[in-house]
This record gives sequence, C-alpha cells and structure tokens, in this order.
Amino acid sequence: MTPVGLQHYLVVSVLLFCLGLLGVLVRRNVLVIYMSLELMLNAANLALTAFSRFNNNLDGQIIVFFIITVAASEVAVGLALIVALYRRRHTTHVEDMTALKN
Amino acid sequence: MDPSKSQLMQYVPVLMLAVVAVLFSAGTLAASSLLGKRARRSAVKDTAYECGMLPVGEGNTRLSIKFYLVAMLFILFDIEVVFLYPWAVNFKGMIREQPGLIFGSMAGFMVVLFIGYIYALKKGAFDWKQ
Amino acid sequence: MQACLFYLFAALTLLCGVLVIANPFTRNPVTSAMFLVLTIVSLAGLFVLLHAFFLAAVQILVYAGAVMVLFLFVIMLLDLKEEERRKIKAGAGVLGLAAAGGIALLMIAVIRQSNAGVGLKPASAEGSTLDLGKRLFTDYALPFELISLVLLVAMIGTVLLSKKDLK
Repeated sequence: MTPVGLQHYLVVSVLLFCLGLLGVLVRRNVLVIYMSLELMLNAANLALTAFSRFNNNLDGQIIVFFIITVAASEVAVGLALIVALYRRRHTTHVEDMTALKN
Repeated sequence: MDPSKSQLMQYVPVLMLAVVAVLFSAGTLAASSLLGKRARRSAVKDTAYECGMLPVGEGNTRLSIKFYLVAMLFILFDIEVVFLYPWAVNFKGMIREQPGLIFGSMAGFMVVLFIGYIYALKKGAFDWKQ
Repeated sequence: MQACLFYLFAALTLLCGVLVIANPFTRNPVTSAMFLVLTIVSLAGLFVLLHAFFLAAVQILVYAGAVMVLFLFVIMLLDLKEEERRKIKAGAGVLGLAAAGGIALLMIAVIRQSNAGVGLKPASAEGSTLDLGKRLFTDYALPFELISLVLLVAMIGTVLLSKKDLK
C-alpha cells in the first residue's frame, strides 16, 4: 500500500465537491440544496487542511477556521430566508420560486 | 516515538469509543432481530395505540417559530466561544510580549458581538411570551 | 494503520455524501441531514489524521453540534410532507451526473498530472492549538476582527428576517 499523500486527500476532496455539485444540480428541495452547499464547503476545507499539512504551513488551517465561521453565519441567514420564503409561498421547492414577485 | 505520532495516539481511545458504539448498536439490532419472536402483523395491529382511540394526524409535530430564532442566535454565539479557545490557550504566553494585541483583539471582537446581543435583546428576540 | 484509517474515513465520507444527495430508500430531508452529520464526523476523522486537531474539534462543535441542529429545526418547522412526493427528473439526473462526473474526472486528471505534493513530507509536529492561535492573533488579527462584523451582520439579518412574528 502506498503511503497516503497529498493527492489522496485532494482526490477525496474533489469527489466530495462533485457530490455537492450533483446535489445542487439534481435535487429540487431548497433545504437539500443547502446541505449540498455545505458538502462543497467541507470539500474545500479538506483540500485546504491537506495543503496546510503537506506544505508545513498553518495558514491553510486558519483559512479553514474562517470558512467554518462564515459558513455558520451563512447558514443562519440562509435558513432565515428559507423560513421567510416558506411563510410567503408555502413551498421549499425551487421550481415554485421562479418569480420575484407573487 | 516522535511527538506528532504520540499526539495522534491520544485519539486512539476516541476511535475505540466509536468502534464500541457502532458495535453495540449494530449488535443490539442484530440480536433483537435474531433472537426476538416474530409477531403476527396486520394493518390494524400496526396502528399506534392511543388509549383505544383511532390515531389522528401525523406523528411528527411541527415546532414553534420562536425556537428557531434562539437556535440561530445560538450558532452565532457558539462561533464566538470557539474563537475563545485558541485565545485562552495563547493568553498566558502572549500577555508578556504583546499585551495590547492579545487583549485588544479579543476586546474588539467581543464589543462588536455585544452590540449584536444588545440589538437582539432590544428587538425582543429572546422574548418567550409572544 | 494510518493508511487504513484514511481509507476508512474517506470511504465513509463519500458514502454518506452520496446518501445525503440521493438516498435510494427515502426522500425525507431529515435522513439527508442525519447523513450530513455522519459526513461531517468522518471529515473530522480525516482532520485528525491531518493533525488538525483543533479543526476536528471545531468541525464537530460547530457543524455537527450547531449547524445541523439548526437544519433539523427548520425541517421540523416546515411542513414537508408534500415535498417528498416529487420525483427527481430523469433527464436532469442524467445531465447533472454527466456534468458533475465530467468535472470530477477533469479535476482528478489535473491533480494526477500536476504531481501535486510529490516529494513533500508531512510536517513532523504541528497543528497544535497554540501555534494556530498565535498565528490567528498576530498575522490574522485584522481578518479576525472583520469576522466579528460578519457575525454581527448575520445576527442583525437573522433578527430582521424573523421580526414579523416578534413585533
């Protein structure tokens, strides 16, 4: 078995990112689309942490820390938007949210 | 043993706990399906027992809206606490060399978040009566 | 041992990731959320293998502990019975699979050809919370202060968006 290197982690990160992308493209429930976005963010986090470790540089980890922070605030605002939309339209289906006005 | 290996070794108990948790839950499920007796099932028998009444409506209840604002604000303050951990670890070491930096950076951070807290309080986000 | 754990956690991450977006048994968003929790926990395992111990803890604290709870709250808040019955369109599924698969193959080919990380040895001992915090509060002091503004804006936005039922 070859020792696990940077490329192994990057391949896992790419696959996870594309899973998230697939979820955004295929699923129609806005909550599941949001979870797929979280998958993509986590894939970026994994790649950054792997680069940080194999380049012996802590900057990557600090950026991951900031990404987690921004992602959490994004989730708070995004879910508030989803709830506000649901109250007005009574749906979480993206195909029913095509118009800006009622 | 080099220090990085020994740091990783500290996580072996966590791994063992995870393995035990998975094995226990899987074992319980497997044992109950292997050892338990199969009861006869029918549509009537599978309905929930509600003191003899017929059950009405869905099983899952919808939560009140006021919980979710508290949950959202909890996330944002949770992040604040997470930033306090590396700060607390570094405080003793850095207070001698750069006291202004270590103290001022966290003071500024806390002041900005405290403004947000005051705002939420004034808007009645923590008011449970309504 | 570490290689085995890497493959275990990587497989678990990807398997649970698949189950988040396309669970063959149920279309319930609650199931997706639970599998997202598993994905996040196994990613934390990968972080531990990368010696990012603090990030692994933050990942579990913030993502699995707080963000997913919020997701579940909102799922419980909304009435999603009618949503489950809608099918994934076959055409959209095939095209989306082709697009995402194509991008994955392209990126993996690029990583293979770029020889990224060849000859790089992982750092001997690092990723400790002490070093991370030192960098955070010296070199990254300004981004750290700006993050507090991001949190403030998120807080105000959250309160404003749900103000209607408060006042």
